[in-house]
Amino acid sequence: MLARSCLRSTRAFAGLRNGAVQITKRAASSSSSGSTAESPLRLNIAAAAATAVAAGSVAWYYHLYGPTADAATPAEEGLHPTHYPWVHQQWFKTFDHQALRRGFQVYREVCASCHSLSRVPYRSFVGTILTVDEAKALAEENEYDTEPNDQGEIEQRPGKLSDYLPAPYKNDEAARFANNGALPPDLSLIVKARHGGCDYIFNLLTGYPEEAPAGANVGAGLNFNPYFPGTGIAMARVLYDGLVEYEDGTPATTSQMAKDVTEFLNWAAEPEMDDRKRMGMKVLVVTSVLFAMSVWVKRYKWAWLKSRKIVYDPPKTDNSPRRF
Amino acid sequence: MGFWDTITDLVEAATPWATADAEAPAQELPEETTAESTKEEASTEAETAAAAEEPAAEEEEPAAEEQEEEEEEEEEEEEEEEPVDPKEQLEEDCRNSKQCSPAKHHFDECVERVTAAESSEGGAKEDCVEEFFHLAHCATECAAPKLWSILK
Ligand code: HEC
Repeated sequence: MLARSCLRSTRAFAGLRNGAVQITKRAASSSSSGSTAESPLRLNIAAAAATAVAAGSVAWYYHLYGPTADAATPAEEGLHPTHYPWVHQQWFKTFDHQALRRGFQVYREVCASCHSLSRVPYRSFVGTILTVDEAKALAEENEYDTEPNDQGEIEQRPGKLSDYLPAPYKNDEAARFANNGALPPDLSLIVKARHGGCDYIFNLLTGYPEEAPAGANVGAGLNFNPYFPGTGIAMARVLYDGLVEYEDGTPATTSQMAKDVTEFLNWAAEPEMDDRKRMGMKVLVVTSVLFAMSVWVKRYKWAWLKSRKIVYDPPKTDNSPRRF
Repeated sequence: MGFWDTITDLVEAATPWATADAEAPAQELPEETTAESTKEEASTEAETAAAAEEPAAEEEEPAAEEQEEEEEEEEEEEEEEEPVDPKEQLEEDCRNSKQCSPAKHHFDECVERVTAAESSEGGAKEDCVEEFFHLAHCATECAAPKLWSILK
């Protein structure tokens, strides 16, 4: 379609400028036709016009599509999170489970009062973050509904390993009501749910400046955080130096806690990561063994072919030339 | 993150004598408990001693006591020794480094301009958010590897 319309337009163009068409024709078949010589003025005009059209079309295209229009200002976009060299993101590294344990402590002592972690059951802590006994004790601290009994009453029972972590609020409306209308999102999958993942969460938690930059307007009830799109976030800074006391004696600085809790949230969102990496290793190991075997097999199969010797043994003849 | 780290890790993992224990050997447990219990005993002793001292102190003037208590609380807070976040200092250094000087220059200039405009009649017509972004990005980028080498 495009090609055809192009053709048509060139034809129309040629009709307008007969001279130009003749020139091209002549150029193509100059040797055979050998027609009258064109004046160099017309040649120059045609070349200049073609160049002008070419340049004009480029300029027009640029005018139409060249500059990108951003619907959002940088402030609306939010500051691009800085990348940190997370150890667990390396190909052959697992989560640092000591850090996960610290991060869980931060979640429990700080974030859990506002954020739920409702996709994580107690059983998933066993062997990764807590021991069985610790996880059981933790589960028993909370009460859960039983199945209806004979009279149809629902009673409360202590939690079991198969239960999921309890949410701080009964429902989203209650959560909004308690937080000035802003809903603290569930953190189970937050690392996967935000651009920048771990980097974003870490930057968000540690990025509250002492004061908002001059002229920035921060909405009522909001706090300035450069990394949050729009820069006004309803969650105030929550992490302060020495807020929790780590059982392993790590100094609980703001960034240490943020790092630990971020890694923990990454685990919550991606608990299969360690297994997945081990699986990847297995794949590499097995394929490398198979490859090595295939090289040996190839050698074995080709040995006779490669080591044979093809000899051309010309028939014995006398040296007299032959006539056919 | 280097390539050789990976290789050495693999070698370490593959060597037959390399072991990784999930938990400390069990024999240590009783020792630990005894240590803890002795500690507890010591602390309870200390508490009782303190309790014995307290009535004596109470006999003194109550006003002075209150003051003392306040002081004590303050002291306690100081004693806890809040850890200092290395991030702040690292980023402050980065902000003042040569690498970030253009961003810092623009930000400072903007702050000056905007605060001047704010106090004037018309009010400020711009903000320094973008300048702040550039400076913050430069500083965190520069501090990131240093911070990670300090954090656990
Ligand atoms: C006082 C209650 C409160 C506490 C404590 C709290 N948050 Fe929040 N958080 C909120 C609210 C409210 C929002 C919603 C903010 C908004 O939408 O403006 C939020 C939002 C978030 C977001 C999502 C930001 C986004 O991009 O949408 C993350 C991630 C987050 N919090 C992490 C944490 C972590 C990690 C902790 C613990 C260290 C924590 N929060 C502690 C109230 C809290």
